[in-house]
Amino acid sequence: MILPLLADALGQFFRPDTLVNVFVDGLSKAAIYAMIALGLTLVFGLLGVLNFAHGSLTMIGAYLGGLVMVLVVGSATGDVARLAAFFFALVFVFAALAALGGLMEVGLIRELYDRPPVYQILLTFGLTLILDELTRIAVTFYGLQPVAKWQDALGTKPAFMATSVHVGGVDLSPLSLFEIALGAVVVLGVWLFLTRTRYGLVIRAGSEDDEMTAALGIDVHRVFTVVFALGSGLAGIAGVLLMWDQVWGASLPLAQQTLLPAFVVVIVGGLGTFRGTVVAALLVGMVDATMTWWFQNAVSFAGLPQMMIFLVLVVTLVVRPQGLFGIAEVGDH
Amino acid sequence: MSLLELDSVHTYYGDSHVLEGVSLTVEEGETVALMGRNGVGKTTTLRSILQLTPPSEGSITYRGEELVGRETHEVAGSGVGWIPEERRVFAQLSVEENVRIAVPEGADVDAALELAWDAFPDLADIPERNAGALSGGQQQMLAIARGLVGNNDLLLVDEPSEGLAPLIVEEVRDALARAAEDTTILLVEQNLPMALDLADRFYVVDHGSVVDSGDADEVDADSDRLTRYLSA
Repeated sequence: MILPLLADALGQFFRPDTLVNVFVDGLSKAAIYAMIALGLTLVFGLLGVLNFAHGSLTMIGAYLGGLVMVLVVGSATGDVARLAAFFFALVFVFAALAALGGLMEVGLIRELYDRPPVYQILLTFGLTLILDELTRIAVTFYGLQPVAKWQDALGTKPAFMATSVHVGGVDLSPLSLFEIALGAVVVLGVWLFLTRTRYGLVIRAGSEDDEMTAALGIDVHRVFTVVFALGSGLAGIAGVLLMWDQVWGASLPLAQQTLLPAFVVVIVGGLGTFRGTVVAALLVGMVDATMTWWFQNAVSFAGLPQMMIFLVLVVTLVVRPQGLFGIAEVGDH
Repeated sequence: MSLLELDSVHTYYGDSHVLEGVSLTVEEGETVALMGRNGVGKTTTLRSILQLTPPSEGSITYRGEELVGRETHEVAGSGVGWIPEERRVFAQLSVEENVRIAVPEGADVDAALELAWDAFPDLADIPERNAGALSGGQQQMLAIARGLVGNNDLLLVDEPSEGLAPLIVEEVRDALARAAEDTTILLVEQNLPMALDLADRFYVVDHGSVVDSGDADEVDADSDRLTRYLSA
């Protein structure tokens, strides 16, 4: 009974159009996971702070991006103008969240560097509660349901993103392709920043040994602030992207929905490593997309695909506890 | 005015009173050896100068300016370089990146790289190699190169020969001797012949304070004056 069903599902899965669709879906999930996790890993790598408020910053980014789009876009706004508004929202949200992150680092987190990690965890967890409640108040005041996806923001997508495109006999989602492109640009941008600029060099050095970096005449605390701001800005622009995605959408639960996969990616990749984060995002994205297909088409079990990424985490922790590209110690101060 | 002056410096690690009133001076252009057994406070003296482990009492002046209370990067920025114990090169960065990061902002990076490669031609052949993949001797060369390119007037050098093969120790000594031609050096070193060979003057530290000092040519490595403080 089960074997014929399984054989049928295998046959479907290995059809070229299915494989292409799963691959594209995996890449788009990987792009989203990479964007969510990059800021988290940069902050942990340099500061040694596991920022539990990261998901909340993504959620705020989604709402702020949605707000910009809803204010700018009307029913008569064309696709090009909507895309332009989206990129304006990206820049605006990046700047706003980077400023918020910078303030958080200078005003709160800086005080705790010399204390045990539990202080940072408690502080950032407390920040999550505060940011989530402030957002709940603001969203409710605006007349929205905090736990429901913000449909008005979802509706600001260009019309061509709401349909599918037919490429080489395969139907693909333009939104997925857009997510892949944007994710690739962000990953490339961060990589170029880290490897081609003096600031990037300082960040990589500081991630290894902040004391030695300071002894070379570099103001490490200023770098900490910049990196926390950058990480917060990246969390924000991930939120802007998710605002358009029907699976995610701007809502209060987005904070937790993004924080958990971000932690999975960062831990699987190896805490604090850029390359590990990107590879882990690809791995987790592909596993997620594959399992989503299987549990939607072969075995009906809606909650399981999301759970499978935690299986990747468990296997990694058992087989290679330091993660794929992990180093022995990071953020030691 | 001395280039560096420590006056009654007291430094603690938690409740542990490590420096109990260290006083010493370093004049511009000289090499001064700081000697003593393990755990008597030599490394802590260098860390106190850099404000990595800030003193709780006493004064440290560099070119007449008080360093106590300043940030480490400010001390380093004023021309005080550090070649630490165990090298502490950035293992994930390439050899060239390790040198580049030590070049002060606005300084000529190409000229600094040339200086580093001239000093250590072995490193010039492997600029792209990760510093973590270097041998102990190569890492020590890199750590010294980092100190050389930092436009430092004073180098704090901590146990440069530790854990190195005798042949490499010779190379390190030669490199420091060349550096000493242009730079003032405060050298912590347990290898007495090397320390006395390089130094103009010496201080002996015991139990957190200076117990002896003098010109390096007044003593030799096995003189009773030194060995009573330095033997295990």
